[in-house]
Amino acid sequence: MSDFWLMLQARARMFNASVRSLSAVRTASFVFVIACFVGGAYYVFFRVFGYLTTVEVIGPALLDRVIEMALFVFFIMLLFSNVITSFSTFYNNRELDFLFSLPVPPTSIYLTKLLENCLYASWATLTIAFPLIVAYGITTGAPALYYPLSILSVLIYMVIPAAVASTLIALILRVFPKLGPREVIMISLALILGLTYLYVRINNPNLLKIFETENEQMLLLFAAQLTTVGGIYVPSTWLSNIIKGFNGNTTVTVFNFLLLSFVSASSVTVAFLVAKTCYVRSWLSSGEHTSKESKRRSLLWKPQRQTARAIFLKDLLIFVREPTQWVQLSIFLILLVVYVMSLRRTPIFFTFPLWRTVVAFANFAYISFVLATLGVRFIFPTMSLERAGIWAIVSSPLSFRKILLTKYFFSLTTAVIIIEFLLISANLFIKVERGLYFVMPVIGLFVAAALVSINLGLGSKFPHFSEDNPSRIAAGTGGIIAALISITYVAISILLLATPAYNYLSHTFMARPVNYLLVYAGFALFIAVSICAIFIPLRIGITSLERRDY
Amino acid sequence: MSRLVVRNLKKKFNSVWALRGFNLTLDPGEIFVLLGPNGAGKTTTLKLITGLLRPTEGEIFIEGTDLRKDPIKAKSHIGYVPDEPFIYNKLTGREFINFVASIYKVSRVDYETRLAGLLKTFDIGEWVDELSESYSHGMKQRVIMCQLLLHNPELILIDEPLVGLDPKTSKTVRELFIKLKEEGKTLFVSTHTLSFAREVATKIGIISQGELKFIGDINELSRISGKKDIEDIYLKLSNANDGVHR
Ligand SMILES: Nc1ncnc2c1ncn2[C@@H]1O[C@H](COP(=O)(O)OP(=O)(O)OP(=O)(O)O)[C@@H](O)[C@H]1O
Ligand SMILES: [Mg+2]
Repeated sequence: MSDFWLMLQARARMFNASVRSLSAVRTASFVFVIACFVGGAYYVFFRVFGYLTTVEVIGPALLDRVIEMALFVFFIMLLFSNVITSFSTFYNNRELDFLFSLPVPPTSIYLTKLLENCLYASWATLTIAFPLIVAYGITTGAPALYYPLSILSVLIYMVIPAAVASTLIALILRVFPKLGPREVIMISLALILGLTYLYVRINNPNLLKIFETENEQMLLLFAAQLTTVGGIYVPSTWLSNIIKGFNGNTTVTVFNFLLLSFVSASSVTVAFLVAKTCYVRSWLSSGEHTSKESKRRSLLWKPQRQTARAIFLKDLLIFVREPTQWVQLSIFLILLVVYVMSLRRTPIFFTFPLWRTVVAFANFAYISFVLATLGVRFIFPTMSLERAGIWAIVSSPLSFRKILLTKYFFSLTTAVIIIEFLLISANLFIKVERGLYFVMPVIGLFVAAALVSINLGLGSKFPHFSEDNPSRIAAGTGGIIAALISITYVAISILLLATPAYNYLSHTFMARPVNYLLVYAGFALFIAVSICAIFIPLRIGITSLERRDY
Repeated sequence: MSRLVVRNLKKKFNSVWALRGFNLTLDPGEIFVLLGPNGAGKTTTLKLITGLLRPTEGEIFIEGTDLRKDPIKAKSHIGYVPDEPFIYNKLTGREFINFVASIYKVSRVDYETRLAGLLKTFDIGEWVDELSESYSHGMKQRVIMCQLLLHNPELILIDEPLVGLDPKTSKTVRELFIKLKEEGKTLFVSTHTLSFAREVATKIGIISQGELKFIGDINELSRISGKKDIEDIYLKLSNANDGVHR
């Protein structure tokens, strides 16, 4: 156990040193961006909760359902992200070769890695969970003790998915030692999805009926009548009970807090015992899994005439051969397709065209946010993924401008295909007004161009040439900054476009006169902001690549 | 025109001077070997010349082109092998070679005529089509040398070429260097292998604590130090001014 503390201290010192090496300006801008994001998220939650409490009769129940739903979704998301990062944290990691050569018990290594994985996988969810909790507290006028206790509960809660994910992967590797990373991650994710579905099916079949309700009134009523979204067996329900209990029922809070802590501690104990029996062996067998098969006749079988093509082919090959990359991208894309398909039912819920336009706008906002996330995860790390091999490029007669523009062009093509596919098919399903069919894809082009630029540019400004794992690169300081700037850009764009959209709606559906000045100003500002967001980050990226030491 | 001119090159990391005023001129057909203790500044010098580090002060001209003003043109004359050979894990050796060949725009004809010969010279077998994550240190280094000679640079910079190579490949490398010199190429090599310096160098530099202490051919160095054996020369000269800076 003392080894564990020693390793933890070493980690803390490393973290401290890396924080200290940041310049004051960088630290300040980092804190600023985080603060803006958390503040913005808080504001949105506060407004939504405030609105919900004013809805007659069903308002308070709706509020509770929203919280339960959010925490349930967080739980599944945390499980997913923990599974995805687990494999590389516990098995596929250069540092492990060193750690295992030290005279420390493997269980200490395991515990350190568990903590690390938990933090890496959960930070993104935390930046949303904290404002949500605070907004709920303020809205319901919770006592002062509410804040520290709920935040403590969230931290205890976070440990459960990390422990479950690592146990799952250790067991899978123990049973099937021959599996490669790709298969292990796929099996775990399939298991989680399948079990979640079964659980919801058995425990709360009504939840699935949401997709069959006939109109919006019924949908709302229905949502309010649902008793607890997740059912009593999931940690997210205990967490929401802790939070809700503060409005009077202290015993509920205390009971659920004890329950949550107990389960959290047990899950770590189980994970620890599993690790004790099979971590070393699983690690050893996973190390033997480098493929020795030869790859003749690949895309780079011959030198290419165009440099851009060579860079693209190289990136493509590396992407395709890195399972964590394409597995995650496919999961994202499948979820997106499922989401878009589910919009097919919208015209049934929302018969009034005004509502459909609102839904189309909300869909646009949602897709942009998703694209921002995808950008941070897949585009931000592209420059860092040159890794130590950066010497080959830097010492060659290739300008950074060319490298970055090549990468920009290919990322943009992919992003445009994704966003346009989603926007156009969603709009077809929603059956929006004719004009929007044409306007939205154009707006989508700007959004894609800006988001790719922000992520590529900042990815070059804050590269991580020593990190192997793209998810980790995206979860570093630079990744957080890029994520928050992307989200801020999307939020600003939506605010700017809301004015023309509102005018359009009130003109079409309420026959109000159009204020052309506002409409044009909104669009012009959006385009101006987008153009800045396209050019400035790329410029910053190129300059900082040119000025850095490798 | 000199192939490489380095004037008053300095590099400071944070507050530590890694290089304090390096001057050097190299002509075609020279092999310059840089010797010095660990942390003396050899890698730093090589990285500055390849553009991997930005000089704090000083100028570098390659074939008369200022590296700072026109890096693309200057870099098109150089080939570099880093001390830690790294190739993209998920590419095969051949794919890496082809990737670099595309960047340097090696013509199809040159590619086809040279590659087979180079693969043979470095004894690179079937494994060139396996992912490089399974390569050993020396295997990676051989792939990198092969890639470098494929684009046929005039100025070749190699950081510790012999680390990790088996005796047979070291011999090949030694012979190759001499052949390259005879073809009129210029080589700038940093190493700890003194016998290697004695055999191939036309000029030897001894660097210590970021300063080039002595430079000359083996006879001059032998005269200055009053020693015969290269090891004695090295030990004498690299320690000559110890204690001045610290
Ligand atoms: N990126 C860096 N940041 C800070 N200091 C550095 C950096 N790179 C090198 N140094 C310092 O510069 C000095 C010279 O290092 P360099 O790597 O050039 O030595 P070297 O002669 O190549 O040594 P070796 O024989 O061990 O390879 C050392 O004191 C080293 O600590
Ligand atoms: Mg060195």
